[in-house]
Amino acid sequence: MSSVTLRKVVKRYGQVEVVHGIDLSVEEGEFVVLLGPSGCGKTTTLRMVAGLEDISAGQLEIAGRVVNDVAPKDRQIAMVFQNYALYPHMTVRQNMEFALKPQKLAANEVSARIAEAARILGLEPLLARKPAQLSGGQRQRVAMARAMVRTPKVFLFDEPLSNLDAKLRTQVRVEIAKLHRRLGTTVLYVTHDQVEAMTLADKIVIMKDGHIEQVGSPEEVFAKPRNLFVATFIGSPAMNLLPAKVAVVNGAPVLVANGFRLAAPPSIVSALDPGASVTLGIRPSDIRVDEAGDYEAVVEVDEYLGTEVLLNLRAGNHELVAQVPAAARPAPDRQSVRIGFDAARLHVFDTQSGEAIR
Amino acid sequence: MTPSLREKFLTYLLVIIILVVFMTPIYLILVSSLKPSPIMFSRPPRFIFTPTLQNYYDLFTMRPFHLQILNSLLVALGSTAFSLTIGTMAAYAVSRIKHRRINDVAFWILSMRMFPPIAVVVPYYIIFKTMGLLDTPLALIIVYSTFNIPLTVWLMKGFFDEVPEALEEAAQVDGHGVIATFFRVTLPLTAPGLAVSAVFCFIFSWNEFLFALMLTGSKSQTVTVAVMSFWSSDAVQWGRIMAGSFVILIPGVIFVLTCQRWLVKGLTMGSVKG
Ligand SMILES: Nc1ncnc2c1ncn2[C@@H]1O[C@H](COP(=O)(O)OP(=O)(O)OP(=O)(O)O)[C@@H](O)[C@H]1O
Ligand SMILES: [Mg+2]
Repeated sequence: MSSVTLRKVVKRYGQVEVVHGIDLSVEEGEFVVLLGPSGCGKTTTLRMVAGLEDISAGQLEIAGRVVNDVAPKDRQIAMVFQNYALYPHMTVRQNMEFALKPQKLAANEVSARIAEAARILGLEPLLARKPAQLSGGQRQRVAMARAMVRTPKVFLFDEPLSNLDAKLRTQVRVEIAKLHRRLGTTVLYVTHDQVEAMTLADKIVIMKDGHIEQVGSPEEVFAKPRNLFVATFIGSPAMNLLPAKVAVVNGAPVLVANGFRLAAPPSIVSALDPGASVTLGIRPSDIRVDEAGDYEAVVEVDEYLGTEVLLNLRAGNHELVAQVPAAARPAPDRQSVRIGFDAARLHVFDTQSGEAIR
Repeated sequence: MTPSLREKFLTYLLVIIILVVFMTPIYLILVSSLKPSPIMFSRPPRFIFTPTLQNYYDLFTMRPFHLQILNSLLVALGSTAFSLTIGTMAAYAVSRIKHRRINDVAFWILSMRMFPPIAVVVPYYIIFKTMGLLDTPLALIIVYSTFNIPLTVWLMKGFFDEVPEALEEAAQVDGHGVIATFFRVTLPLTAPGLAVSAVFCFIFSWNEFLFALMLTGSKSQTVTVAVMSFWSSDAVQWGRIMAGSFVILIPGVIFVLTCQRWLVKGLTMGSVKG
């Protein structure tokens, strides 16, 4: 168990720079998820931590020790690869034994650890099988068991669930969460699935094009996105965005968005410049749909999802998505509903820079 | 899908034709080696006769055929072992090095295999004479390896290319060094390639005639040359040649059968999702 610290870490492939000097600290025992769209440099970053990729510039520390030039085998890490990378010529048991071999443990300690991992991950009946005789989910669990037996300082996961079907994914996700709770080992976990990130992480690191856009707890990145990219990337369905202007009415700033006139969130009133172009962000779940609403909106499509309903609304020339509980679903013959917004729940971004106005 | 009767019939027919084509020469060799010399060329050919082992007896008494077999085995196994060792390591390097000219290097290595032997036999003779290696098994091992190594490199490169690098990375992250990774993970997965390479190297070395004729004398003569020595200007001793030929067949068959159990496909199956 130990911390991982990246200081201004850069990765270049020849002339192309793909990771641009990122700073990140993973505290001891923390579960940190790297989240971002495809090609943003998540795998590259993880592989640098593992030592499988050279670090072009900057510094990497594991447990307070600079390991830029330490070989992967001496970093005391364990990695679960996206494609499992099980040794195909070895049985499940041998896969685990091979991973333990460098630690030169006593035979009974080896079998004890394998038994423990097999029990936790439900692999006991499979120990004598070869990887080719396992299903995808079983292979996945073997890959995790193989990492687990080593009791590493840091666990690295590269999209470990991406090859599983939806049901199994949820199941293994819970397994991983339990495993982390039980072992308390530091985890660095890569994914492009925000549900995985939100459910597993103590801290989410949102990346884009080799930069870190925001670091924060799941609650933070959801409630206080630092910029438009994070705001739209986190949350499903995505945040509604409306172009708006800052006007001043009776000495107080008001956000005017083509038909809507919304009071500015109290916390940022002082930061708003009159006349500035801003982008309003409203989460679908933050749109109130009730008779007391201030605006009229036409229901174009409603999508029933079981516990909730997504309303695709048109209000003036704005298209909005609202998320309401299934119980609040408007009657099928209703053409329009009334909607309202809560000033405190509005997100306001500078249109030019995309940064949140705080 | 189960094959229909017709398909089954055709399959068996094809197998039988192939067997006949390939087995007839071997049958003729065996039959001729067991015939007493007077009826060797009788017309029409005699198929009913009392077989004799005289030719085999002569083989081991008139010539030190057992020693010649040992020479051949030493040379063939020696060259196979040497070529596999060097060739496998070179192939691994060629497979893993990422450079845009690496394929040119690989092709250059293969081109060695294309040298017409007759063009180099005289230079080799002079070199080995100078080095005092004429009529030694070592000379043949060296010469055969110059042909076997390129072949091994080329074959094994293909097999190494098939081993996912993620497996090696996994081994390294698991705490294994480069050498342990190679021997415990990569190499076992190329076992079919090693078997194929071994078979090709062994058979080439075992059957080679030209270099063996030119570079060996009485001391380290190999079986191919030994058999041909029954062919002299005044008489061709067909019975003994046939007996020798039949004996020569045996080690090759044993070697191939031994290697065959490694010739299993799909060894890397299930390792990585792909
Ligand atoms: N060997 C390489 N040479 C050049 N560029 C590379 C190399 N490997 C990766 N890249 C580039 O680096 C960038 C980051 O790649 P990386 O694999 O880290 O993305 P990722 O965030 O893991 O994406 P994904 O979610 O698709 O796995 C990509 O633009 C990719 O094209
Ligand atoms: Mg990736």
